[in-house]
Amino acid sequence: MNKILTPFLVFFLLTSFTEDKNQFIARQGQVSFFSYASMENIEAKNNQVLSILDLKNKKIAISMLMRAFVFKKDLMYEHFNESYVESDIYPKATFEGDIINFDASLKEQTKMIKGKLTIHGITKEIEIKTTIEKKENKYVLFGEANVFVKDFDIKIPPILASNIAQMITIKFRFQYQSYEE
Amino acid sequence: MKNKKTHQLLIVLFLIVNCSINAQDLLEKLNQEFPDTPVYEIATFKTTRIGLGHSIETRKKGALQISLYNRYWNFPTPRSERFLADKVSSRYGLEYAFSDNFTAGLGYTNFDEISDGFLKYRLLKQQKNNKKRYVSITLVQGFSHRTNLANKDQFAFTSQALIARKINRDFSLQISPTFIHKQATLADIDPKSQFAIGFGGRHKIGGHTAIVSEYYYVANPLKSIDTYNAFMVGLNWEVGDLMVQLQVTNARNFAEDTFITQTAHNFNFKDPNLHFGFNVTFLLHTNKKK
Repeated sequence: MNKILTPFLVFFLLTSFTEDKNQFIARQGQVSFFSYASMENIEAKNNQVLSILDLKNKKIAISMLMRAFVFKKDLMYEHFNESYVESDIYPKATFEGDIINFDASLKEQTKMIKGKLTIHGITKEIEIKTTIEKKENKYVLFGEANVFVKDFDIKIPPILASNIAQMITIKFRFQYQSYEE
Repeated sequence: MKNKKTHQLLIVLFLIVNCSINAQDLLEKLNQEFPDTPVYEIATFKTTRIGLGHSIETRKKGALQISLYNRYWNFPTPRSERFLADKVSSRYGLEYAFSDNFTAGLGYTNFDEISDGFLKYRLLKQQKNNKKRYVSITLVQGFSHRTNLANKDQFAFTSQALIARKINRDFSLQISPTFIHKQATLADIDPKSQFAIGFGGRHKIGGHTAIVSEYYYVANPLKSIDTYNAFMVGLNWEVGDLMVQLQVTNARNFAEDTFITQTAHNFNFKDPNLHFGFNVTFLLHTNKKK
C-alpha cells in the first residue's frame, strides 16, 4: 500500500509547489483612461497596477487602487474619488479573465481576453483584444478597451454631462516577470 | 488496517491542499501584493473656507483661486426701499498655492474697506486606518489693515489652529482655537487680545452638495459695544472648477478679526440682522501635471 501511495503524494506535493513557476507578476502595470467630451478632455494615469498572468491556466487577473490614478487637475482627482467612483467604499477596480487560445511559447500574438471587470462595485462581462509579446523570460501585454460610464452606475449630474464622455477609453500595458525575481 | 486509514486520510488532505493552492484566487493573491502606503483622507471639506472662516483644506501646488464673497442685507422695513437688497458687502479674494501644503492669500472688502491677507500651512493630514493620525491640522496666520477715522493705519492679527476630522464619508467636523490681537481698539476698555473658538461642520447631502454650519464663540468680547457670536448655516455646491456657497448668517464682515469679534447683530430673521451670503470661488490650474 505504502509503495503505491508514496509516488502519488510526492507528485501532488511537487505540483503544488511548482505552481508559482507558471505565474508571472506585473507590479508596475500602467492603466490610463481618457474621456473626450465636448467641453473638456480628461486623462488619468495609474502606474501601480498589479497583475498576475497564469500561463498554465491561461488566466489573467488585474487589480488597481482607484486612489492611485493621477489627474492633470487636482479637483478632478477629488471629484473622481469622492463623487464618481466613490473610492472610499469601492477602493479597487479588478479584472479577472481567460485568454482565449493563448500559446505561451509564441513570440507575439493577439488574442481575446474574456472576463469580468469590476468598477464601482459593479461587475460586467467584457472582451478585450490584447497583444501579448514574449521577450526572453518576460511577457508584455497591452491593448485598449472601451467602457460605458452608465454600465457601472456612476452618476454624473446633468450640468456636467457635457464635460464627461459617455464612453471611456482604457489603455493598459503590463510587463510581467516570474514570481521569484 | 489502521495504517491504511491514515493513508487514505492523508491522500484526501493532500488533494484538498493541492486543489486549494491551485484554485487560489488570482485576485486574492494580488491583494497581498499591494504595498502598505499611507492613505490620506481627501476632501474633509471641499472648499478652502467652510463658510465664514477657513477650513483645513488648501489647494494643490500651482492652483490660483479667485473668489468673490457677497453679503446682502436689508434695512428695517420703513427704510427698506430696494428691490432685492438694500446693502451689499463684497470681498474680492485671490489665493495661490505655493506648494501642496502652503497657500497665501489676499483680499479686499469694499464695505468696511479692510484689506486682509493670510498664510496657511497644512501641518498634519488625517490618514485612513491610522490611529496616530486621527485628525488634520492646518495653521493660519491672518493679518488685516484698515485706516481709522483719523486716517491712521490700524493692523490686526489672527492666529488659528484648525483641527478637523473626517468622521465618515459625509460628515466632517472642525474646531478652530483662535487668538486675535489688534493694534488699536474701539475704546480703551476693550481688550486688545481676544480668544475665540470656532466650531464648523459639513454634512454631504449629495455627490456635489453639502450643508455646512459654523459658529464662533468669543471668550472675552468687546466691552464698549454689544457683540454677538458669529453663526452661519448654508449650502455648498461645487461643479468642476466652480464652487458656490449660499448661506444665511449674522456676520457682515469678512476679515477674521472683525467678523469673529465685532459682529454687532444677533442671528435671527429680522432685518437688518439677517444676512444672505453668496460666495463664488473659481479655481485656475497654473501648473498642470504632464
